[in-house]
Amino acid sequence: MKKRGIGVGCMWYGIGNTGAPNPAGAFLDFLEDGTVLVLTGCADIGQGSSTALAQIAAGELGVNIEDILVVAGDTGVSPDAGATSASRQTYISGNAVLLAARQAKEVLLQEAAGVLGAAASELGLGGGYVWRGGERTPVTVKDILARCRQKGKLTLGSGWFNPLTTGLDEAGQGVPYATYSYATQVAEVEVDTETGKVSVLRLAAAHDVGRAVNPQAVEGQIEGGCLMGIGYALLEEVKVDRGRVGNPRYAEYILPMSLDAPEIHAIIVEDPEPTGPYGAKGVGEPALIPTAAAIANAVADALGVRFYDLPVTPEKILAALTAEGDHKSPDE
Amino acid sequence: MTGQADGKMPAVSSVIGRSCPRVDGADKVTGSALFAADRRMEGMLYARVLRSTVPHAVLRRIDAEAARAVPGVAAVYTAADIPGENRVGIIVKDEPVLVDDRIRRVGDPLALVVAGNEQALAAAMSEIEVFYEELPAVFSPEEAMAGGAPAIHGQGNIQSVTRIVRGDVDSALKEARAVISRRYTTQMVEHAYLEPEAGLAAVVDGLVTIWVSTQNPHYDRREVARVLGIGQNRVRVVQSPTGGGFGGKLDISVQCLLGLAAWKTGRPVRMVYSREESMAASPKRHPCVIDYTSACDGDGRLLAVKVKIVGDTGAYASYGPATLKRAAVHATGPYEVPNVFIESYCVYTNNPTAGAMRGFGVPQVAFAHESQMDLLAGALGLDPFTIRLRNCFRPGGVTATGQRLLHSVGIKETIDRARAKAEELGMLEGKR
Amino acid sequence: MKPFRFRATVNGRPVDLPVDPRRRLLDVLREDLGLTGTKEGCGEGECGACTVLLDGRPVNACLVLAPEAAGCDITTIEGVAVEGRLHPIQEAFLEAGAVQCGYCTPGMILAAKALLDKDPRPTDQAIKTAVSGNLCRCTGYVKIVKAVRLAAARLAREEGAV
Repeated sequence: MKKRGIGVGCMWYGIGNTGAPNPAGAFLDFLEDGTVLVLTGCADIGQGSSTALAQIAAGELGVNIEDILVVAGDTGVSPDAGATSASRQTYISGNAVLLAARQAKEVLLQEAAGVLGAAASELGLGGGYVWRGGERTPVTVKDILARCRQKGKLTLGSGWFNPLTTGLDEAGQGVPYATYSYATQVAEVEVDTETGKVSVLRLAAAHDVGRAVNPQAVEGQIEGGCLMGIGYALLEEVKVDRGRVGNPRYAEYILPMSLDAPEIHAIIVEDPEPTGPYGAKGVGEPALIPTAAAIANAVADALGVRFYDLPVTPEKILAALTAEGDHKSPDE
Repeated sequence: MTGQADGKMPAVSSVIGRSCPRVDGADKVTGSALFAADRRMEGMLYARVLRSTVPHAVLRRIDAEAARAVPGVAAVYTAADIPGENRVGIIVKDEPVLVDDRIRRVGDPLALVVAGNEQALAAAMSEIEVFYEELPAVFSPEEAMAGGAPAIHGQGNIQSVTRIVRGDVDSALKEARAVISRRYTTQMVEHAYLEPEAGLAAVVDGLVTIWVSTQNPHYDRREVARVLGIGQNRVRVVQSPTGGGFGGKLDISVQCLLGLAAWKTGRPVRMVYSREESMAASPKRHPCVIDYTSACDGDGRLLAVKVKIVGDTGAYASYGPATLKRAAVHATGPYEVPNVFIESYCVYTNNPTAGAMRGFGVPQVAFAHESQMDLLAGALGLDPFTIRLRNCFRPGGVTATGQRLLHSVGIKETIDRARAKAEELGMLEGKR
Repeated sequence: MKPFRFRATVNGRPVDLPVDPRRRLLDVLREDLGLTGTKEGCGEGECGACTVLLDGRPVNACLVLAPEAAGCDITTIEGVAVEGRLHPIQEAFLEAGAVQCGYCTPGMILAAKALLDKDPRPTDQAIKTAVSGNLCRCTGYVKIVKAVRLAAARLAREEGAV
């Protein structure tokens, strides 16, 4: 018989290292032809940080993303950005890039202020022009860059950001993170009581990321996290026997594959973080965190039997259903 | 534009919040992106490391004479060949680059073979003789924490403890309408990124230059410089396109071994893990045992939680202390709980090292606190959404560590939106 | 062992070189021909990262010995774009956000190409089945399926325009 169940999983996740300094730095060079070089220590491991950082620089400088080159993770040229971990790079390196961009921009704005007889604080850059109070002026960014160079001014910026945290005291009290991301996922499963197999049919995954710099990339993180969470809930386990990994091959360590992928509905919630770049927080790890919890709750809902030991394998389900048949000891 | 222009200038709104294609996408769809294993250099050598087959032993001697004599072998290095410090580690420097005294896990690196071709490498590996004396080993935190357990790093096996105490849990438990206590256990998990660990090192213009698959090139630089005993400015680490990490490429894998081989031989050296080596030797997600007690009043409002988390960090600390500390901080879930007593233990064993993996201890505690919420809801006849909405953080809420949350507290909106989507899709039909 | 003459067509060009017959097609492509777009993920045919097309059929290049591929028409990821123009499948992978770390991408694109070459209007289930031998740890497959669907629509339109 196939039984359907629904489960809810919520989570919170502090962005950056726990109660410890974890700064990131960035350098930026606004080149004289209007293109931009960003140097960052931030390692893009597939999550898309180089793209998000390019967008943040482009947003601040009012240039197209195509005009930004991000050189990332080369210790010969880029400042330390710390680890790509703890869902921290959009928030921390994002702020570092934003600050570096602001510093370079300030040089241009000061120069433009002289040309336009305006205060630098009234001015902005966008689409190749200098803007004043939201109105486009005839002065181009290239003109200003050329004037800066003629006067011997380089349009460089550097920035670094360290989230405001404190260590934890003896009683574990303190401010371990500057900001937190939040999420709720709802899982729908179908459990085959003959085979013990659990199929995840649908997932609704709502994530508060502060601001999605690149919504498609955020969705990608959520979808990938959900599938990894399915693996955690139902399939994956490193078997260790007397210290030795017993299944060090893909043939024996079973990952979710394309046919295991359910319908995943990624929902982006934006409750902006005032200290984040454009309000952004992080999403890399939150994507996975509530999935196994939601699935375990869905399985309990379907069967009336709860599992306290991950992964919830067919063997465990069949054993529990047999025991339940014997003793009739349902959930709570 | 931010600031005075209030984001009204056209170029800004068109780039933040826009799904721009990946800046490295074209290289990745055409196959031209050069991952570390795709690199080669003139005169390049190949390297592979011999690993221990026992979990706990005193290393007596390594005889590599026969291996060195294999035609095509350039060098075989052991701990004695390391010019600087032979200890690395993100939080605690407790892990040898090549074992010098004690083997603490199956898979500990013992000797590095460098050769002109893969065949010579394989032949030399089988010629190395390792002499050791096995020690009693421990394979669970419970055994490791017990009195008289063999000490894996010289003192007790408890690497670190985190305690979070707030309010008065015992009184709150007495006043509670419902109290639920359960034990949760979670398994060891592999990151299983598609690209196995890989790197290429060469001395270029006097700089030890390492192209490597990594999540933290600047950490790698610090460790390589210390291990070689040279200035950080003499080491250049270049992150190659990295085929996934998920926390598993934060630790040192090939970096220091490659640095040593290139530094000593003066030639480019490449090292690529096989899938089996990657899965057997890389750090894992911490298996945890979580004892969780929650208490609420008649409306389902949480009064107290008491949580004990024990995580098996294996032979080396890696990111373990941070993982267990984070697990403790997040143990309440996104809920306001006035009385908490949380403790977490990071424990050494002779199991594979557990380090960072996507979520850093929080997926483990989330399984526990979310199961507890459903159990409480069941005890009071409440809907799972209702009990969560009743307890979730709001702006102004205070966490277990006493932090007041002021801004960007979107948990309620995520519950509302996920529930609305589930309703729209008909997922809740016939359920509640 | 004595080398044999490995003769085949690789990405439309004839190839003729001496090869140890015990070598895998994967090594010939990556090491001898420098076509490193084909990735090694497991060496056991479990992950699909080394997928190439052999006479239009997707195979794991780690499981094929060089002599078995002799005389075949071999397509690797380097042969998918035509004269510097991205193939519609490659474009769709970029646009749909189907690429994250990129390590599974070459194999995934070739598996998709093999599917669309014989089934130009696949269902989502057919797409999932076609890439079921290709592991991806990053994307959850959602955007990969979407990309293949998008590519199918584009190719159908191009076909119609001819």
